[in-house]
Amino acid sequence: MKAPTDEVQEVFRNVFGDETIVLTDDMTAADVPGWDSLGHLNLIIALEKRFKIKFATAEIAKLKEDNQNAGTLLALIARKLR
Amino acid sequence: MNVCGIEWVVCLLVFSALFFLSPCIRFRQILLSGCNFGFVATWVPNLSGWMALALFTGAGFGAAVLLRRYPRKSLLAFYLILLLASFVIIKQYAFLKLLLPAEFFQRVIATVGWSYILFRQIQVAVDAYQSQIENLSLWNYLNFQFNVFGFIAGPIQRYQDFCKSWTELAPILTEAESILRAYLRVFVGVIKITLVAGVCLSLFQSVLRILSDPAAVRHESHGRQILQLAAMFYSYPLYVYFNFSGYCDMVIAGASLFGLKMPENFDRPGLSRNMIEFWTRWHRTLGFWIRDYIFTPMYKAIATHWPKKAGSLAFLCYFVAFFLAGLWHGSTWNFVAYGLLNGLGLAGTKLWETHLVKKRGRAGLRLYLQNPVIHVAAIVLTLNFVCLTMFCFATDLGQTYLVMKNVLSAAT
Repeated sequence: MKAPTDEVQEVFRNVFGDETIVLTDDMTAADVPGWDSLGHLNLIIALEKRFKIKFATAEIAKLKEDNQNAGTLLALIARKLR
Repeated sequence: MNVCGIEWVVCLLVFSALFFLSPCIRFRQILLSGCNFGFVATWVPNLSGWMALALFTGAGFGAAVLLRRYPRKSLLAFYLILLLASFVIIKQYAFLKLLLPAEFFQRVIATVGWSYILFRQIQVAVDAYQSQIENLSLWNYLNFQFNVFGFIAGPIQRYQDFCKSWTELAPILTEAESILRAYLRVFVGVIKITLVAGVCLSLFQSVLRILSDPAAVRHESHGRQILQLAAMFYSYPLYVYFNFSGYCDMVIAGASLFGLKMPENFDRPGLSRNMIEFWTRWHRTLGFWIRDYIFTPMYKAIATHWPKKAGSLAFLCYFVAFFLAGLWHGSTWNFVAYGLLNGLGLAGTKLWETHLVKKRGRAGLRLYLQNPVIHVAAIVLTLNFVCLTMFCFATDLGQTYLVMKNVLSAAT
């Protein structure tokens, strides 16, 4: 199953308060103002609520690592929705 | 056996060569396992020490097995409370002296490495509860806990990341250049610890001796007193940095010679522009651990139950998480002060950022962050604040008070 990119993008826009965000696979935290540790948690909480899924602590931490991007997040959401 | 000692370096060179020549994975695991347990044995003084260590780590493995099979929140909470209580009691935290009779503190158990075992226990327990651990075995777990390259002072590695290297243990440095680079890094680590950190420490100690003596302070000119106070203020953090980053150079490079990939622990901490950034650059694996296993669950719980208050309570989460991290560093009152300052530093950073976003918006914050003058000022301020936090445990609080009293009374 593919992650619903449009819905995830909407969550991004709500959390970071920026209607111009266009979600792409290679987007990283450095590309989105406010996507720091706390912004990341707010995003995770909003995604959990929206898709009724749960992220484990290790998964949340892994998503913050240097080589991770929005594509990794989308893939993880898709796996959880399967 | 000290990591910076000659025995450790000789063992590293000899056993890493044997490791490289080992014919199969089983042999390599047995060799590294022998190094792990042999190293730990040099730190455990007697049978009661071994029994306490076996009980402490064994309980962690038992709890992880149970939590994988029965992922109940109550079971996890029960285990974590038991674990933390036993840790606080065994480490004989200073505040216990206010609660317990003096006889209780007469029996001391050697607890070298236990603080890091605690972190790894909590990580494994939480991840086991959340079904994030696939291959849990006693053999893997014991080697993870007693890993010679992380036992004494980290870096803090996740069980899953350790297993990635451990279960396919093989030389990862196969070209002469990369092996030489690893040897060079070990050598740089030795120089940092023995030479640079050594010089910083002796400077600190000699200035401390002068400033602790009221008569000696009175004989110094006002300018020299300020210079000495500055030398004391900066030399101790420099000692801590070179000593710890040198140690990390040695263990990370050493681990790579045994096919293990350990996480980096430092990323130019002197360039941090605030305390939140500092903890992503200094002792990074500890900063990330605190973020993942204290800050994240605390903030998530608040945001889930009181979503409207989450934003304004975030600074409180920073304070609590890093206050606890400060306390973990040691069992005396110095570390309570260290924890308080760190907690205040991080909470203050978040409050300031929130204030700026409210006042100027995200775009305004971006402009503020791009201002080069503010950038340099923030780095200098952070660096000095970090030195102040470390001043808390450079000596005991009584001696710090004495030094400040001597300098102030001589100045007036």
